[in-house]
Amino acid sequence: MDPQENGTLTEVGLSESPRTDWVKIVSKIMIYLVLGLASFFILLPLLIMLSASFKNEMEIFDYPIHLIPRQFTLANFNKLFFDSFGKINMNSFPMYIFNSVKITTIIMVIQLFTSSTAAYAFSKLKWKGRDVLFLIYVSSIMIPVQITIIPQFIMVRNLGLYNTHLALILLGSFTAFGTFLIKQYFMTIPDSLLEAARIDGANELYIYSKIMMPLSKSVLAVQVIFSFRYFWNDFFVPMIYLSDARLKTIPLGMADFVTENFVYYGPQMAACMISIIPVVIIFLFTQKYFVEGIASGSIKG
Amino acid sequence: MKPLDRPNKWFTVLLFLLPSLIGFLIFVFIPTITVIGLAFTNYSGGFNISYVGLDNFIQALTNSTFQKALSNTIWFTLATVFFQLLLGFIFAVILNGKLIGRTFFRAVIFLPVILSNIAVSLIFVLIFHPSKGPLNNFLLSMGLPAVPWLTSPSTALLTIIIVTLWQSFGYYMILFLSGLQSISPELYEAGEIDGANAFQRLIHITVPMLSPTTFLCVIMAIINSFKVFDQIFAMTGGQLGGGPAGSTTVLVFDIYQRAFTNYEMGYASAESLILLLIVLLITIIQYRGQHKWVTYE
Repeated sequence: MDPQENGTLTEVGLSESPRTDWVKIVSKIMIYLVLGLASFFILLPLLIMLSASFKNEMEIFDYPIHLIPRQFTLANFNKLFFDSFGKINMNSFPMYIFNSVKITTIIMVIQLFTSSTAAYAFSKLKWKGRDVLFLIYVSSIMIPVQITIIPQFIMVRNLGLYNTHLALILLGSFTAFGTFLIKQYFMTIPDSLLEAARIDGANELYIYSKIMMPLSKSVLAVQVIFSFRYFWNDFFVPMIYLSDARLKTIPLGMADFVTENFVYYGPQMAACMISIIPVVIIFLFTQKYFVEGIASGSIKG
Repeated sequence: MKPLDRPNKWFTVLLFLLPSLIGFLIFVFIPTITVIGLAFTNYSGGFNISYVGLDNFIQALTNSTFQKALSNTIWFTLATVFFQLLLGFIFAVILNGKLIGRTFFRAVIFLPVILSNIAVSLIFVLIFHPSKGPLNNFLLSMGLPAVPWLTSPSTALLTIIIVTLWQSFGYYMILFLSGLQSISPELYEAGEIDGANAFQRLIHITVPMLSPTTFLCVIMAIINSFKVFDQIFAMTGGQLGGGPAGSTTVLVFDIYQRAFTNYEMGYASAESLILLLIVLLITIIQYRGQHKWVTYE
């Protein structure tokens, strides 16, 4: 399943032409040219951001671009973290980072729990209406959140949860994608294993927690990484439900720059760095899980 | 699998199901049903609510804002879906072969997918800055005219399409890659024995064998295009945004503005319902049409 590890792949022509050697060489050169260009266009904006976050405002728009700052400065980061008296600004990024970490972590744990128990009910227990409910679950992936947001907002407000982190946490408690993902994996674990445990007198809770979960570590990792990425970056839902500065998450803090009257690009790029760095670090260490998670979407249910 | 034949069967099922079912019912299922009802009212967020029949729908279908948002959504979707799939396919085919640095190139192309839409938008706002931005400076230095990018009604949506492509084609590359790896190598060997050249093998083996993946990608790409919001918010003006002359206002953005800036929640629900019907229609057409072009082994 993991494309990274698979060394003996189906060669899709292009480089394996049986004709003369120079055709091979030319096509190889073309391929590397295309890949080099693509990498250049993808990495350049990120490098511009990286360098701009350490430049002063005047230098950011210097042309031709020089990626190494002439005058290296941390002023942009200071502006996000400290107020004008040099004290840590709790109405700005220190608080946003804390909120993002808090909300993302809580939702990650809750989703892991709700999606794996539901996956168990959908794959290892037999009951009437199971497949219909599962189909309804999965089709909800198709519905854009903006369609349900109005009644959802009214509901959250009536529950007295507007402008609370609890609203986001409850809204994040259900994941159709995660349920689907884990259910697909659970189905590959043979029922005979469970039957044997049942005969030995194990109850379902024991089987779920002591047999299924330990056997499914890799798919659970995929689920955790996916919910981390999603909620760390999520903008629309927090924007609807949070209005206090002290409750904001990093994407909300970044979006505030959009409507500022005087635009400073340095602090914006520094904020982008703060948002991007954790995701990139996690990506570098867990690339294979990201790829698996996406690829498993293509398994026919 | 044997059915559970213990008396506490339903208790066990609910025990496992409830943690996710509660969230699903309260925050997904009931709102989807409720939005249908709200669409026929004049609800504006307060205490008053009354039935207005089809007024909201008539208003939506006859006003130019909605029509503009609908056409923006369609253009955005057509352009992004086509190029996402094309680029995703090309790079999947290239990176499925044996190459030095394959893992590196795959990682680089996939990297933007995981980044925050807002962060990516802010970076491109800087790059596309009309007077000081590096891109226009580059164009000028090459003797080309500067492009207004996000600041002109004729180019703003195109600019957002470019940024969306930059950020997301790697996702479809990964999907295509996993599809490519499920094609049996024997098919290519057989093709080679029959004298098919690389291009013929691509057209006659890869493309048809990949059609289930392509089908999945088309559906996902369409749905994701309908959802695009963050980029439009962050690159064309925030809450009151939607681009110069509404040129980047897509349906979901219009729904947001109507509901949460103007508090026209009844009207916005009608727009939501129209969008829901479009999503439903596309899904049904796709599923019914798939047997015509999708090859399953």
